[in-house]
Amino acid sequence: MKCRLCSRDAAGDLCPYHMRAKENVEAAYEAWVRAYGGMDWKTYLDRVITNGETGQRAKEVAELLVGRLNDKNNP
Amino acid sequence: MGESSQSAGYTLVICEKPDAARRISEALAGGTLPGSLVEGVVVYRFRHGQQDFVVCSAQGHVYAVSDPFRERAVYPIFDAEWYQSNLVEKGSASAAKRIAAVKKLSGGAGRLVNACDFDVEGETIGFNVLRYACDGREREAIRAKFSTLTSEELVESFRSAKAPSDQGLARAGRARHLVDFMWGVNLSRALSQSALASEGRYRTVSIGRVQGPTLKFVAQRESEIQEFVPTPFWKAHAVFERGQTRFVAAYAKERIGTRAAAEKVKRNCEGRDGIVADVRRSVSWVPPSPPFSIGDLQREAYRAFGFSPSRTLQIAERLYLGSLASYPRTGSQKLPPSINFRGILRGLQGLAGYSREAGELLRGELRPVEGAKADPAHPAIHPTGEHPRRSLDSSEAKVYDMVVRRFLSAFAPAAKIERAAVTIAVEGNEFVLEGASTVYPGWQAYYGRYRSWRDVEVPPVKEGERLRTAEVRIEEKFNQRPIRYNQSSLLEKMEREGIGTKATRAGIISTLLARGYISGESLAVTGLGESIVEIMEMFAPSIVTTGLTQKIEERLEAVEGGQEDGRALLRETVRSITEQMIALSADEDRIGRRIGEASSAGVAAGTTVLGPCPVCKTGKLRIVRSKKTGKRFVGCTNYPEACRASAPLPQRGAIKAAPKPCQRCSWPVVYVLGGRHPWRLCVNPDCPSKVKKRDEVQAV
Repeated sequence: MKCRLCSRDAAGDLCPYHMRAKENVEAAYEAWVRAYGGMDWKTYLDRVITNGETGQRAKEVAELLVGRLNDKNNP
Repeated sequence: MGESSQSAGYTLVICEKPDAARRISEALAGGTLPGSLVEGVVVYRFRHGQQDFVVCSAQGHVYAVSDPFRERAVYPIFDAEWYQSNLVEKGSASAAKRIAAVKKLSGGAGRLVNACDFDVEGETIGFNVLRYACDGREREAIRAKFSTLTSEELVESFRSAKAPSDQGLARAGRARHLVDFMWGVNLSRALSQSALASEGRYRTVSIGRVQGPTLKFVAQRESEIQEFVPTPFWKAHAVFERGQTRFVAAYAKERIGTRAAAEKVKRNCEGRDGIVADVRRSVSWVPPSPPFSIGDLQREAYRAFGFSPSRTLQIAERLYLGSLASYPRTGSQKLPPSINFRGILRGLQGLAGYSREAGELLRGELRPVEGAKADPAHPAIHPTGEHPRRSLDSSEAKVYDMVVRRFLSAFAPAAKIERAAVTIAVEGNEFVLEGASTVYPGWQAYYGRYRSWRDVEVPPVKEGERLRTAEVRIEEKFNQRPIRYNQSSLLEKMEREGIGTKATRAGIISTLLARGYISGESLAVTGLGESIVEIMEMFAPSIVTTGLTQKIEERLEAVEGGQEDGRALLRETVRSITEQMIALSADEDRIGRRIGEASSAGVAAGTTVLGPCPVCKTGKLRIVRSKKTGKRFVGCTNYPEACRASAPLPQRGAIKAAPKPCQRCSWPVVYVLGGRHPWRLCVNPDCPSKVKKRDEVQAV
């Protein structure tokens, strides 16, 4: 199976690199919520995508997650 | 010279490089002298101490390790041997005539002196020349040891040279070359042949036991950067007024975790006066930095001039061969009195630019500051005090000046620094202002422009003083992703991890750059480099971990010290390589495909995805390679079910995604690297800008 985001081999839908990036994206959410006193998942992802410090793979994962969210909201 | 000097025939001196041969000859002969040609090589003949001398030289390594087959398809290789380097390496043509000259001269030599550089490589060069070009006379050759090419030291080193080398360094050096050759040639051939089998064309893919972990350091850092997600925090600063003076103090808590807490600080402090709650002043004496080891010099030259470590080493070697500085491949931070501090300073006193400083130091007691690192073979890098015989080019002049100033500053007194920390309280919130100023410059005056210290003045406030709070600022910040290595910090990492040697580390980094595994000023791993690390981790993990190479370094040290003879290490190397080869050959096909994809895609790590697909709006456009034609192109991740968006790409040069999409069509924009200037390209073949141009061309 190939990674959804690059051509690497993957056990699931993401390669180990993008999987680690996804874990980082998910893990940081709680810190953002605490820091701003609340933030919904979509706003968080949008802000992660536009933040200059976010790594390229983490951005790609965040964009994928936003896409999935949009698909879910507009089936 | 010892007893052997009484035997018949002349004394044949073997040097490492032609420049060293000339310097040694001039020193022993007591002045310049013409060379004569033997087999097309310049040699020097003269009398010294009632003996006839002939001085000749190698040109670095004139023997190199290779295998008898020298066929890139043949591996594994375990019967490596030493050959004349002109037979096995490109660009070593002069080795043949140098070896021929030594062979011719050694026949008439009653005594042999090994005067190559005194370190692992120099001992190895001398040993090989004596063994292979002088009929196995390596055990009888007397060793001359010196750290500078000044006349005084050279004459003394030849006067006191009495015994042959114990050959520990040469044994370790030869074992290192054999071990490195076996690891390098077998893994590289395995990878290259895998790529050949998969792609049908040959490409050199190399890896070695030091290259492997070094590449992994860069790859690991790149992964941390690519996968990084920042988290927010806030910083607060207050601007205080004292008469006409305004100054900024930072909130005592460096990071404020929540926006609410930061806003509360601003709310509570704005418009309220601050009271100076605490003023602490202290004086400290800061000693100078220790003299340069080669690693220290490479780091400092990178910081001050941006010179790569390999460039600094080359320059330092030129300064050594010009007898302006001591031998540079040293790990020592110590300056023993035997180098004659006063003599060196007197020499520097005669040079414009150092006259005043050297004169001042000569008036006092000379006791240098030293670092903890020692090297039994050579002292720290220091100037010789001799005056340049030719004009130095600008790079040489810079490194020379840095070496001289570091040497001078090592003898200078400590700098007196006054530090101050002021705490200002505003409604229970504390702001801190810290500074330091130089009261007495001490060594800083000698180290000149290279000192990295900058004074920060603190206003002379007193405890209990009331200050008007003019403004309170809060700033949203994000923790920053890790920074990439540069050549200097990567060299430091290698040193800290104990991989490579002081002589080889800079060269390893240059090789990784030349192979296209890493690139840029801030070193980023390329797609190919990342794939090499992945493949190695999967099939030969020990080659990219520090454990294997650290263990080998320890064993080589044991060989050097005579606790081990090197054969056991070579046997173990063969066993380890055999295991790795079995693992690699079992998956040759997959490895080859992976290398092929990465190297021919020519993409920087983490940039295979170019951006969102403007056609289906849900997929991503990424770089893929056609299985049929082997050509790279842009395709959507939703292909073929939901989207068939695709676009051709140039087939040459590395591709890097531009940060913003095309303003005309929203397709991704890429930079194509490889030529002198990168060019910018919207990947959409039907982009309105291109269509307009195409129409114009068609109309013409």
